[in-house]
Amino acid sequence: MAQQRALPQSKETLLQSYNKRLKDDVKSIMDNFTEIIKTAKIEDETQVSRATQGEQDNYEMHVRAANIVRAGESLMKLVSDLKQFLILNDFPSVNEAIDQRNQQLRALQEECDRKLIALRDEISIDLYELEEEYYSSSSSLCEANDLPLCEAYWRLDLDTDSADGLSALVLASPEPSAGPLQAAAPAHSHAGGPGAGPTEHA
Amino acid sequence: MATYSLANERLRALEDIEREIGAILQNAGTVILELSKEKTNERLLDRQAAAFTASVQHVEAELSAQIRYLTQVATGQPHEGSSYSSRKDCQMALKRVDYARLKLSDVARICEQLLEN
Repeated sequence: MAQQRALPQSKETLLQSYNKRLKDDVKSIMDNFTEIIKTAKIEDETQVSRATQGEQDNYEMHVRAANIVRAGESLMKLVSDLKQFLILNDFPSVNEAIDQRNQQLRALQEECDRKLIALRDEISIDLYELEEEYYSSSSSLCEANDLPLCEAYWRLDLDTDSADGLSALVLASPEPSAGPLQAAAPAHSHAGGPGAGPTEHA
Repeated sequence: MATYSLANERLRALEDIEREIGAILQNAGTVILELSKEKTNERLLDRQAAAFTASVQHVEAELSAQIRYLTQVATGQPHEGSSYSSRKDCQMALKRVDYARLKLSDVARICEQLLEN
């Protein structure tokens, strides 16, 4: 599983540089820290005066402390570069993140569509009653020969089911206002009712 | 978020390493500060020095492991996957819902007008 693939030269070089930076920074921190501890040791015999030696040790410790901080900063930069490299090149986790995102979005889309379909089914029932009311009222602007939408749907339903007797009965209906009342019985006996008509043709 | 565990686990590990590097510098500073005192607390000194050494070794091991993992999984190619298609489908579904809501509000308004009249 852990096979070394032939990476492009740039990636190989980059990862080797990361390794080198890590080793150098850790070595720098350890060495400088050790040297500071050693320098802290007070020696009785010094080649120069004690004050001069003290000054020299002070300066050396400052420089080594600065080196430790610089190495720490360099390590932080290395971690930042590794994070960036990971985000861009860690394909397993990128693939998984994309799959999860797709699943979430698909689930949301299915939820929306499911709710819309349920809403459609509910509203078609209410719409049938509204249309009945509208077309049978005086505020309707349609002519006597025009069929109300509900009746038009029934006809389409009956045609697709090829119920000869019922279609003849409906076709023989004289007035549009009586249409919904006469056809109410066959409509309700029809599976799904007129609510299914609009839904089927939606 | 549990769903992004694999993707973020390594990133979280790297963030822990960053905090640990800060702790390393903190420990080093505490040790040197303690050494500078006339009366040094030896136990504190030993504890801090041991913590410093352990942290440095831990950071080195963790970062080496991360680099080794990257050497195994990295290819030279850019990742060309995207979630654009499912995002677009979801966006269209939300548009459908908005449209249905708009139409319903129209119907409700018309019904109210008719009732008032």
